[in-house]
Amino acid sequence: MVAFLGNTALLLASCLAAAQLFISLKIDKYKIIKYHKFVVLGLLLFTLISFFSLMYSHIVSDFSIKNVFENSHTTKPLFYKISGVWGNHEGSMLLWILVLSIFNYFIYKLYNKNNLIFVSKILQNQAIICLGFLLFTYLTSNPFDKTVAKFSNGLGFNPILQDPALAIHPPLLYLGYVGFSAAFSISLAALQLQDNEKINWNIYMKPFVLYAWSFLTIGIALGSIWAYYELGWGGWWFWDPVENASFMPWLLGTALIHSLITLEKRKSLESWVLLLAILTFLLSVIGTFLVRSGILTSVHTFALDPSRGIYILSFTALLGIYSLALFGLKEKNYNKNNFFSLTSKEGTILLNNIIMIILCASVFLGTIYPLAVEVFFKNKISVGEPYYNSIVLPIMIPAIIVMGIAPIMYWKKDNIFKILKKSIYPIILTFFITITFFYIYEKYSLAGIIGIILASWIISNTLIYLFAKIFLKINTNYSIGMTIAHLGIGLLILGATGSSVWQEEKIIRMNINDEIKINKYNVTFSKIKEISGQNYIAIQGNFLVQSDGKFITNLKPENRLYPITQIFTSEVSIHTNLSRDLYLVLGEGNSDDGWVVRLYHNPLVIWIWLGSITIFIGGLLSVTKNKKTIKNY
Amino acid sequence: MKLKKMIKKYFTLFFSFIILILLSNYTYSVEPEEFLKNKEQETLAREITKNIRCLVCQNQSIDDSDATLAKDLRILVRSKVKEGKSKKEIYNFLTARYGDFILLNPPLNKSTYLLWFLPIAFLLIGIYVIYKFSRLSKKL
Amino acid sequence: MKINFITIPSLIFIFIVSIFFYLLLIDRDPSEIPSVLIDKKIPEFKTNYLSKNEIFISPENFSNRITLVNFFATWCKPCRDEHKYIKELSKKMEIEIIGINYKDDAKKTIKWLNELGNPYSDVIVDKNGKIGIEWGVYGIPETFIVDSNKKIQFRHVGPINKKILKNINLKINEIKKND
Repeated sequence: MVAFLGNTALLLASCLAAAQLFISLKIDKYKIIKYHKFVVLGLLLFTLISFFSLMYSHIVSDFSIKNVFENSHTTKPLFYKISGVWGNHEGSMLLWILVLSIFNYFIYKLYNKNNLIFVSKILQNQAIICLGFLLFTYLTSNPFDKTVAKFSNGLGFNPILQDPALAIHPPLLYLGYVGFSAAFSISLAALQLQDNEKINWNIYMKPFVLYAWSFLTIGIALGSIWAYYELGWGGWWFWDPVENASFMPWLLGTALIHSLITLEKRKSLESWVLLLAILTFLLSVIGTFLVRSGILTSVHTFALDPSRGIYILSFTALLGIYSLALFGLKEKNYNKNNFFSLTSKEGTILLNNIIMIILCASVFLGTIYPLAVEVFFKNKISVGEPYYNSIVLPIMIPAIIVMGIAPIMYWKKDNIFKILKKSIYPIILTFFITITFFYIYEKYSLAGIIGIILASWIISNTLIYLFAKIFLKINTNYSIGMTIAHLGIGLLILGATGSSVWQEEKIIRMNINDEIKINKYNVTFSKIKEISGQNYIAIQGNFLVQSDGKFITNLKPENRLYPITQIFTSEVSIHTNLSRDLYLVLGEGNSDDGWVVRLYHNPLVIWIWLGSITIFIGGLLSVTKNKKTIKNY
Repeated sequence: MKLKKMIKKYFTLFFSFIILILLSNYTYSVEPEEFLKNKEQETLAREITKNIRCLVCQNQSIDDSDATLAKDLRILVRSKVKEGKSKKEIYNFLTARYGDFILLNPPLNKSTYLLWFLPIAFLLIGIYVIYKFSRLSKKL
Repeated sequence: MKINFITIPSLIFIFIVSIFFYLLLIDRDPSEIPSVLIDKKIPEFKTNYLSKNEIFISPENFSNRITLVNFFATWCKPCRDEHKYIKELSKKMEIEIIGINYKDDAKKTIKWLNELGNPYSDVIVDKNGKIGIEWGVYGIPETFIVDSNKKIQFRHVGPINKKILKNINLKINEIKKND
């Protein structure tokens, strides 16, 4: 019954999306708001009904629905029953659609008497995207498909996905991707306007991009946290295709935010911003395609199904050809006034844009190159972590150096000597921070020195700006949101560098009462016991951690067995503080030979997460400021 | 029986991939018994095994994987390191049998020229664009 | 310059999308790794026979006939599934089939072969997987076709089924024609 409701709502939502497109094309512009109000709200309502029907089915474990049967189990905790709704392909598409129609509603809310045509064109483009994904879900990945047989229990849930970070990771990530869809629609709408209908479209685009980018940042960070806690390899970023698929739109989104500022302040780079907005969303969809179609083999690949791949690829191709052709035809109307001095704020932003594009292109190249080799050389190669580390990381360096001073530079033209003079305090501070870190951690490597210097450079600059702005009340030309976001980047670099260059690792076999030293910590294996949880049984080790005889913590790693799915997982035990993580994994073993223990001392890891949160907050602060601009406009 | 079969079918369809990773998760990767006594040799062996892809588990090095083949390859690499073979000789030995696919860091050859040189080309294009912009701005 | 700026993104986009379409439409297993040993001499190795007290030396002990090399193990379920196809292939008079018993127990293997029938001309032992590595084996079962010049001509990873059996027969006929 509920499945029928959800399915019907999904179908009706598709019809309404089609209606929204039709209305945008046909209806006279003075009546359009009334019609749009009806379809936009209807679309939102029906996707909500559809989404909550599926959620309800998961909560009550309605195993007549295939999606619930395959992905759920009666013994699963309620929280994970809910997050299980989007923990699978079909459900996650439904969530994607829900987020799309929420954004669709926000776009509708932009209507005022001055922008009727513009907003109706945005809604027209947004309707195409909604319709494409609704039909994709309804036809090829319908979450309400029934099972023929009757089951009293589901197949269970993949325990590796049973993790709080991963539970909220997809919604945040989709807020990011879908936010870029709004930027895409706005860009197309701007290109579709006649000359006499011109409008300051960039003011509309900016809050969406800031939203999308902030949520994408936090979404990616949560994925990393999950990998760090759940996969148990001591690392947090693996350059896996799925990670790349979210990282590429992030890079382009970064470029987009910065060039939008230039456009706003200097009225230049207009056509470039239009193209960038198109590419960012196209790349998000291509990323989705790469992940969902199974064309690449990746640790995260969803179920393989060629028909889905063909549908979503055709849709991507249509969107791409439509938008790029439109851009090609109309771009000449926007190409003007693109030249400016390099030693100016817009000059540094240009540099930022170019580097982000190079980074994104390189990551994209690495991700799809194995496919190209397969087609053209009938061979297979792997492009793994070492490639990205040697190609991508060095390209970032100039961008980060410039990032330190760019915010205090003047628009139009600045003087290099004046900038250097202003940079004296940050340079001194950078010097001291760097020395302090190397004094504490006592290990030198080229990568480490570069990373720490860059991180300290950004941190000292941003802290000084913040100090000047908040405490000395100096009136400046940079915003607090931006400075905080930049500070977050600095912290993130600090954490990333520290955890990779100063990581210590011990892999040994331990018996009860054995002791091992890592860094300044003595870790004693005190006992091991069997425990049981709601849907698993486990053995749990207990390790006493001491430093100079002082008690620090007890680490309790587990090896779990989920009997329903016969899946073994390993629960890492981590003790975190601001300077380091102690990361302990229990391997196989028995009481006679001892257990294999993997112990890591990962310095500064927490700064990766704190940095990401800081970026997120900085981004959101900028959104609130920019939303006001629209209202005043 | 029929039910069991169906469940199995679903399983292989939707979970097989994830199970593969999970099982490789359970007992972790390189085991303490495998380490070489000689510290320098062990460092070299570790460096090599971190760059060799586990063929059955995708996107994982044999150092991180506990698949039996990964373990065999780890032992093989370590025995070759012990014999005094160089990094290059060991890579050559492995690519002669498994192809370039086994190396996580793709070697430079005619199929990977673009992979390695395109980023450099991107960089040059970027520098050209900046040059172009700054020249034009002087004229203005 | 201006035209380039506009058309380049579209061209790149179309190029990439066509690659994706091509890969989606062809019959392709993304996890399969092509063998680099095709058209190469078979690897050199020495090992024991399963039930004879003699040493098998490769390539010397390979005959001058077309030879099928099949890696199998009793612990591998798909090997049991493909066994009937191996038996079918063994009815061909012109070929030999060498079974390489991968990381297995001799007693269990003999029992297994007694139960299911022994289609192999010779069964040799790969106790610790070293021979498998020489052949670039990554998943059991695997089957190779070696021509009369002792060069590898074909490799299949995974169990043989009807379709693969047909492919193998075609390949054998092709090799025969070229000899």
